[in-house]
Amino acid sequence: MSALDRFPPGHGDRALIAGIVCLFIGALFTMTPLRVQLPSAFYVFVEVGILFVIYGVLVLGLDLQYGHTGLVNFGHVVFFAVGAYATAMLSAQDTFTGIGLGYPWPLGLAVGVIAAAILGAAVSLTSIRLRGDFLAIVTLATAEIFHSLFVNFEDIFGGNVGILGVPRPIAAVISDSDTQLVATLLVLGGITFLTLAVVIRLTDAPYGRVLRAIRADELVTRSVGKSTITYKMQAFVYGAALAGLAGGMFALYNGAVAPGFFTIQVTVTVWIGMLLGGAANHRAVLAGLAIIMGLRLISRFALNVTPVAGDVFASIRLIVVGLILVAVIRYRPAGIWGDPQELGVDQ
Amino acid sequence: MSLLSTEGLVKEFGGLRAIDELSVSIEEGELVGVMGPNGAGKSTFFNCVSGVIPPDQGTVTLNENDVTGNSPESLAHRGLVRTFQNTRELETMTVRDNVRLAGPDQPGERTLPALLRSSSMREREETVQQRADELIETFELDHLANEYSSNLSGGQRKLLELARTLMLDPDVLLLDEPFAGVNPTLTREIADHVRDLNADGMTVVTIEHELETLAELVDRLIVLQQGQLLVEGNPETVLKDERVIEAYLGGDAE
Repeated sequence: MSALDRFPPGHGDRALIAGIVCLFIGALFTMTPLRVQLPSAFYVFVEVGILFVIYGVLVLGLDLQYGHTGLVNFGHVVFFAVGAYATAMLSAQDTFTGIGLGYPWPLGLAVGVIAAAILGAAVSLTSIRLRGDFLAIVTLATAEIFHSLFVNFEDIFGGNVGILGVPRPIAAVISDSDTQLVATLLVLGGITFLTLAVVIRLTDAPYGRVLRAIRADELVTRSVGKSTITYKMQAFVYGAALAGLAGGMFALYNGAVAPGFFTIQVTVTVWIGMLLGGAANHRAVLAGLAIIMGLRLISRFALNVTPVAGDVFASIRLIVVGLILVAVIRYRPAGIWGDPQELGVDQ
Repeated sequence: MSLLSTEGLVKEFGGLRAIDELSVSIEEGELVGVMGPNGAGKSTFFNCVSGVIPPDQGTVTLNENDVTGNSPESLAHRGLVRTFQNTRELETMTVRDNVRLAGPDQPGERTLPALLRSSSMREREETVQQRADELIETFELDHLANEYSSNLSGGQRKLLELARTLMLDPDVLLLDEPFAGVNPTLTREIADHVRDLNADGMTVVTIEHELETLAELVDRLIVLQQGQLLVEGNPETVLKDERVIEAYLGGDAE
């Protein structure tokens, strides 16, 4: 999509319809005895697909912050984790360790989103007036702080075990595991589509024009009367809230949260996905994420046919991903579908 | 009462006084030029007045309101807009978006109307679009409207910057070296635009090195030296003033 004439918009409507259709079909599975059977080779694709749609919400939030507004957030995982933990702690019943309050899961999900947004507001209040690189450092540090909080405060966060016994709303109504997986993919995918529709609307509107102007030159944007601090804070908080939503989705799908799910690896994956696809382009960042997660999936199969040990293979995999990233940055610095002029990089 | 005035304005950078107790006053409808040798404090004066940097001492008054230290965005809302010495384009945006961005009072710049695509947003955007296209046409940038502004030449950037500021329909326009690096034809064109704007009632203050163009253009000249007011008055008298000749040509003239 070019930057030309994003307005009046229309792109977001297809995402909206797709989201509603996905949710509708997903809901059909939960309300009717309709069942599907998956060939067992398909399981892994559906599982990675579910993780992809969850990370999709993450990358859309990150792209709102970085791609559109130019805010560098190297601690995106912390908002994902806070959303997941808050959802889990509010709604978990009979957790083995840590706090589980046993409230209904929708309340947990709402609190998860709000908690992530509040953390986003706190981080942006302290750091967003500073130069861009300080925000990068502060977000990175925040992620580390919370990671050690989760590990060390066992009575609250359950330590390395995490919070168990988180309700799984879809699994609760569908007993058959194949159908469960498909319904989960549809429902969570539907939420991702709706998120896509929301961010497209926001960035296609004059609101998005202000965000892109801030990315281009904050002083100019101020001198034409836009209160840039407010916009930067809003973009940051919205991105954090979306990460919180992704966290809540993850907790309610997985049934448990633990520090191991929220390592810096998550931040790295969504960043690579965004840069690979092309920042400031919603569909491109999702496609980039699909590529990076798809590569990881394919490499799982490659392990079975390569004559090396698992740990060696893991290293090779990292090297390959690194090489791909270097190649993209060298030959397509704006990402595969990114617009180099819009992103201000030399091709 | 003047439209824009400063009283005892001081700005220091380290030990250096860039602006030293500067008091100037600009009347409504005036077209004023600010000149002075390099380092005289012209740009610092503009930066303090336009809210880019807060002054250390002194006051800035706009329309009888004390606006000292106000942010650029709040000054823009109060009707004072500036351009920059080195043109600052939003290079990653198109010419049209550069101009449309400046359109004021767009409800679609708030989250909820944007998400709901409210009719107020769409109506406002039509007006903004129309005004932007008019300005783009006035400044003869229409063939470039959909180009990224990074593709524009130096002179075209000056025109674009002017078009962008005019979207705000300011009462006071501060122009920071509008003719720097611009070819003679375009210089005349920009000067004509400025004269037209002033004739329509806009108060314009412009910094310029190009003395001839400036003297032809403005009603009154303010000459700064070492952060202080050296001379002010009508261009002919000022340019003949010995102190000005001394300051400008200084020891180098010998």
